Amino acid sequence: MTEQPVIELEGVWKIHGPNGAAAMADARAGATKADILQRHGAVLGIADASFAVMRGEVFCIMGLSGSGKSTLLRHINRLMEPTAGRIRVLGQEVLALDSRSLRRLRAERVGMVFQHMALLPHRTVRDNVAYPLEVRGEALSRRWAVSSEKLQLVGLSGYEERFPHELSGGMQQRVGLARALASDPEVLLMDEPFSSLDPLIRRDLQDQFVALSRQLGKTTLFVTHDMEEAIRIGSRVAIMKDGRVVQVGTPAEIVTQPVDDYVRSFVQGIARDRLVAELERTP
Amino acid sequence: MTTGRPIEDSSQSVARFAGRNAGYYQRVFARIHGAASFQPSFNAAAALFGPLWAAARGLWGSFWAMAVAELYALVMLGRGLYGDLGAQARLQAVKLETAADARAADAASALQVGDAATAETFSRIAANLHTAAEQALAQAQLAAASAPRLVVTGLVLWLVVRLVAGFVANPLYARRYVAWRTRPTLGAGFDWGRLGLALLLLLLLYPPTVYRFTATTVPAVLVHVPAAGALAGTLAGWIDAGFAGLYANGAGFFDGMRDVIRFVVHALETVLVSTPWMVTMTVFVVGAWHAAGRRVALLTGGAVAYIAIIGLWDLSMQTVALVVTAAAGCIALGLPLGIWCGRSPRAFRLVRPVLDLMQTMPAMVYLIPAIAFLGTGTPPGVMATLCFGLPPMVRLTALGIQQVPPGVCEAARAYGASDWQLLYGVELPLARPSILAGVSQTLLMCLSMVVVAALVGAQGLGSVVLESLQYAASGRGILAGVAILLCAVVIDRVVQGLFAGKNA
Repeated sequence: MTEQPVIELEGVWKIHGPNGAAAMADARAGATKADILQRHGAVLGIADASFAVMRGEVFCIMGLSGSGKSTLLRHINRLMEPTAGRIRVLGQEVLALDSRSLRRLRAERVGMVFQHMALLPHRTVRDNVAYPLEVRGEALSRRWAVSSEKLQLVGLSGYEERFPHELSGGMQQRVGLARALASDPEVLLMDEPFSSLDPLIRRDLQDQFVALSRQLGKTTLFVTHDMEEAIRIGSRVAIMKDGRVVQVGTPAEIVTQPVDDYVRSFVQGIARDRLVAELERTP
Repeated sequence: MTTGRPIEDSSQSVARFAGRNAGYYQRVFARIHGAASFQPSFNAAAALFGPLWAAARGLWGSFWAMAVAELYALVMLGRGLYGDLGAQARLQAVKLETAADARAADAASALQVGDAATAETFSRIAANLHTAAEQALAQAQLAAASAPRLVVTGLVLWLVVRLVAGFVANPLYARRYVAWRTRPTLGAGFDWGRLGLALLLLLLLYPPTVYRFTATTVPAVLVHVPAAGALAGTLAGWIDAGFAGLYANGAGFFDGMRDVIRFVVHALETVLVSTPWMVTMTVFVVGAWHAAGRRVALLTGGAVAYIAIIGLWDLSMQTVALVVTAAAGCIALGLPLGIWCGRSPRAFRLVRPVLDLMQTMPAMVYLIPAIAFLGTGTPPGVMATLCFGLPPMVRLTALGIQQVPPGVCEAARAYGASDWQLLYGVELPLARPSILAGVSQTLLMCLSMVVVAALVGAQGLGSVVLESLQYAASGRGILAGVAILLCAVVIDRVVQGLFAGKNA
């Protein structure tokens, strides 16, 4: 069986702001982020990103804030339009989809979890989880059944009738995860889902997530600014800087063969023995 | 090398800021910025040139303060030196003296005729006038004598202005330098162009003012604004013609609008007035109960009872019909417009000045085009009320839509929501409190317009208030006013209760 990439990016560029075409030409010629801001008043969000994510992989995108990792994630389900490049998800050219097919893709095949949960505050936990199904036009009985099932999966049975503001941050994010799983998508997009939680809960949710992702085998694109988190849960890691993907590799490759000082500076921050333990745990 | 850099840098930038005479300002600023407390310093150039210095250095606020204070001093000086201070009192004295002489002549002629009593009266008046004239003359002399004091005061004031200018110049300029560091677009340095402009301004300000207050007789140009009365007439004529032309071209449209408004108001009136009163009242009270609970229901019952007992029921129902029609129009127009403005900042930028205009314009002014296009009666009243009540609806709807967290909208999109699903499922529910506040505001604005609408013949409680104003029947007017107030309170409470009930 040949391995089939589920998500494929080819030369994706994103330029925010005015003078897109001129800035784009400049950027292709090798101008840096600072150059482009100075010359065109435009911000280089993503520069020439290319990688492929295989089925069942947990692929982490790691970078500091402003490195373009969340922007890149939003291109997968086309919440943002790239300036140039090709994006293929589950065999479909995302950029060629009309609005109806795009909405189908989002509602049925790609789930997303957000840093600030982004739950609908006026709906109960149950209706929040069922939202993707409601958008799709599913019947109430099925929405409620699926909703209960997914809430059980994330350990929140019994909270169906509560409102999001009645739950703690960690619980809210588990609701977010249940919502992402509601339509049984093949792909999960996670935008720093645990970074606004306190460290203990974060650790706890990371473990739960790793267990869940093994169990469900979803292809996951996971954005984080935390190297330890990337190494704990990622089967592969891409490191971004100023909109460019500087290195892609397994956690072991990243730690043992950092391509440059930038990557090395992340790796150095991690206690060596902890890291070895993590790597041994990863199959 | 690097250790000395920040200080050197700062001093260089002071030089760049000051331009002319940089060395002086480098020293002064170093002293001012080097100490935590106030550092006294005296800027001779500022004292010598006053407002001109301030302008040349780009301190326009100081320029104006100095120019006005100095102008005051100059006026005093001018009046003291050249003004005819007693002129007015002396003129009065001459007038009185003439009158006294006339009365004295009258007395003499009366005496010649032999009418001693009349002569007595006249000569007493003449004596009184003479005394008054002497007093006026004394006053004139006193005023003339005050001239040296005015000269001294003016001179002292002028000197004080210049001294203060000299003392505050450096601290002010140092503060401007700090502002300039973060906003380099602020003018810096010594600029001849600004100096020229200041000179021009002073020439425009000083001579006419000083002349106006010094000279005894002043040309009319200095006192009265020359208005082009004919131009105003022409413009008003154009506007009249414009209204007439618009009405002539759109007669069908305006007549149709009038008929629709009349039909809606009339239908509502029929329902509210023709239905037996106990049915309508019951619906009101029970409706208030459902919407906002028992207390508001009691309040509604009280208001309804008051209106019924006072005998204003039919008129109140006419007012309710008018207000409901206008408010429904406001909501029907304002909600989509507000949603559009909330979603598109550009649209809001376009609409906002129009809304400002609608809110600032005195409510009566709406009546003018309303009458021109819709005639008199209830339709123009509804139209004017609608214009007045629309802005809060648009504003608060836009505000509500803008306040929806962008992350939540993004999440809805990420799960495949279409534009309509986003609007109905996310944006409108989350904007609900703001939109309901808009509805409540709009209703109250519409109610506040009923008296104004009565001016063009709209029926209802407003016409009672208006009549009582015309015939000074204050009692009846106040009773009707209280009825309007009760309507407003009930509507406000019901809408608020509606919002609170759904949110709890």
